[in-house]
Amino acid sequence: MTSSASVRTRWQMRRPRIQWLPYVLLLPTLYFVFLFTVYPTFKVLRDSRIYYHPSRPDRQMVTDLKLPGIDEATRSIRGPNNVGLAYFRAMVEPDSPEGETFRQVIGNSALYVVGTVPISMILALLFALLVNRKMRGVGIARLALFYPTVLPMVSAATIWLFFFTPDYGLWNQLFKFFGYGGPQNWVINPKLALWSLIIVAIWKNAGYFMIFYLAGLQGLPEDVYEAAALDGANWFTQLTRITVPLLRRTTLFVSVIAIIGAFQQVEHALVMTYELVSGEADLLLYEIYQQRFIQQDYGFANSLTVVMIAILFALTLANVFLTERQEYAN
Amino acid sequence: MKVRLLLIVAILVTALGVSSAAAQDKTVVTIYFPIAVDSPVTEILDEYTAAYEAENPDVDIVFSYEGGYTDVQTKLRTVAEGGGDLPAGAIMLATDIFDVANAGLVQPWDAYVDEDTLSDYFDVWLSNSYYDADGDGTGELYGLPFQRSTVLLYYNATLLAENNMEPPANWQELAEDAQTLTTDTRWGILIPNSWPYWELQPFALGAGQNLVGDSDTEVFFNSDAAVEALQYWVDLYTVYNATPAGVQNNWGDAPGLFASGDAAMIVHSTGSMPGILSAADFEVNVSGIPGKDGGHFTVPGGGNLYLVAGIDDATAQAMADFALWLTSPEQTVDWSIRTGYLPVRQSALELESWTSYAADTPQAAQAVATLDSAGPELSVQSLADVRNALHTHILAVLNGEEEPQAALDAAQAEADEILSIYQ
Repeated sequence: MTSSASVRTRWQMRRPRIQWLPYVLLLPTLYFVFLFTVYPTFKVLRDSRIYYHPSRPDRQMVTDLKLPGIDEATRSIRGPNNVGLAYFRAMVEPDSPEGETFRQVIGNSALYVVGTVPISMILALLFALLVNRKMRGVGIARLALFYPTVLPMVSAATIWLFFFTPDYGLWNQLFKFFGYGGPQNWVINPKLALWSLIIVAIWKNAGYFMIFYLAGLQGLPEDVYEAAALDGANWFTQLTRITVPLLRRTTLFVSVIAIIGAFQQVEHALVMTYELVSGEADLLLYEIYQQRFIQQDYGFANSLTVVMIAILFALTLANVFLTERQEYAN
Repeated sequence: MKVRLLLIVAILVTALGVSSAAAQDKTVVTIYFPIAVDSPVTEILDEYTAAYEAENPDVDIVFSYEGGYTDVQTKLRTVAEGGGDLPAGAIMLATDIFDVANAGLVQPWDAYVDEDTLSDYFDVWLSNSYYDADGDGTGELYGLPFQRSTVLLYYNATLLAENNMEPPANWQELAEDAQTLTTDTRWGILIPNSWPYWELQPFALGAGQNLVGDSDTEVFFNSDAAVEALQYWVDLYTVYNATPAGVQNNWGDAPGLFASGDAAMIVHSTGSMPGILSAADFEVNVSGIPGKDGGHFTVPGGGNLYLVAGIDDATAQAMADFALWLTSPEQTVDWSIRTGYLPVRQSALELESWTSYAADTPQAAQAVATLDSAGPELSVQSLADVRNALHTHILAVLNGEEEPQAALDAAQAEADEILSIYQ
């Protein structure tokens, strides 16, 4: 038995065979990844150098265009003109229209991340602690807290539109109860539209992140808690000294997917906010849609997309390094 | 058994072959259609399609419902750029004319519509239809009027009668009536904020100057008339307390609030009329928007039929025939009665079908009467950017952050900046 086995392994080691099957099985996936991710990424990188406004007439430019780098021979207000990195330069300039839009949108997106991620994560942890207990009705509680996640964002936004209705909307009724004066129209007011998006996102995401925390909680060792209880630690001490530190990896993972998600959410903006609040409350992805389909500024939309890809790529890399590194460290 | 089965299969195959051959002979006319009003549009259009195909058996009319107006334009653009099957026609906003003509998505109707027919369309509907895209000095007809509406003042006639009021004839009467009719549970007037340029235009017209003129590269955002109009809006809540303060009125909520008696007057589209008339349990009446010192004013809105560029001649001819049939006097009356859009042909008003409807529904006749005092809707090159500049500052005024004069000066400066590339 030993001899035959060792003979076979030695024979195999002498003639290493390439395993083709896994690669063949991966081919369809690779094909679609290339078609829908890799190719568009490079296409948008290439097209971010093109100034193109198809909804303008094909006229020679007489005034100076804000974007530098346009070839004198093809100075058309319609384009396509090759402007190199002009859009990216315009984005970092203080007083160009692209720069103003870009700062506004990045500021909005940052506020959106800061406004949604920490609060929905804290809520998620509290929900998880709540439904992790052995008590009656825990199934109902889990269902109730997880339900917003199952609901499509478009439906959720439509429901919230009703809540945000001026005057008789539930949201305004609630505020009235606390003495808030004017029944404001949240979704068409540039000052409030972003906050209404943040509220919907928190409501929608907390239940989703709860699932990760719940999984984390159920993986925690029992004996530490028993030891802590013997040492006289109350529940609060147990929570802050044991549960939260032990859930560090979950927190890290959830925070990264939460930030990535915050940059990808756009449906509620499409449903809830109007073209009106354009600029004042636009998130990055929504602005890309606006520039591409409403304002028809192809080059700017492509350049914004490049920025967005860069942000998401950085976040993904951070996710991989932070979580994987820990994996090996443990 | 087997023989019978074979026979059935053979018959089926032959039938399929015959029917597909028949389909190949037909000219397929596809039309992208937006759903923009609250009426059973698809049922109505199915009827029209059946009626037209009965008269023209060699044509196959296909309505393709794409969502809203924006979605229609996006779809058409995507198909044109990506090389899909082009439709023959599309319903897009009258104000989209410059964007879609510049992009080469549409072609003029001039070759298909004769002079006599064209002169029968109301002038006001044609006020956003012409564009000199080729720069030869004369404008070509790009938009054929189809589903057109205007801004109206809806008022609760029962309530006005109870308070011994005449319908408001100027700004002061409108504001004072609205003030009188405001109670704890009812607003005197609602002017929606979700699409403000359209509501501001008749007020600016009523003070003597529209926001837009004949040029496609010039706007008049900071004229005295426009500033007075915006100041009047602010006064309605600061001075008269007759409307909710700031940015509160939703386009979609206003008809419901009016029909339920929670608002005595609203400024809204004719397209909302069927819904309001069927829901309200009081007498509803309409007029144009009262002018500052009298008169009534309005601006047109809604969508036109566009002929898609890059289709073969036979399809374009078939599309044009159907478009003229769809906007013929008989059809335009039927469409108006069932959707709340206004007739697009002047001769339609003499048809028995319209006169009997207008006798039953005087509000519709009243809406048509406003067409005499209408100015063109805001439509210029780079419309989305120009409109954004105006909207941003109107909302800033309503939020109490800017004064009307300063806000409209800023909007004018931004619009001029955008339009300067066309000068």
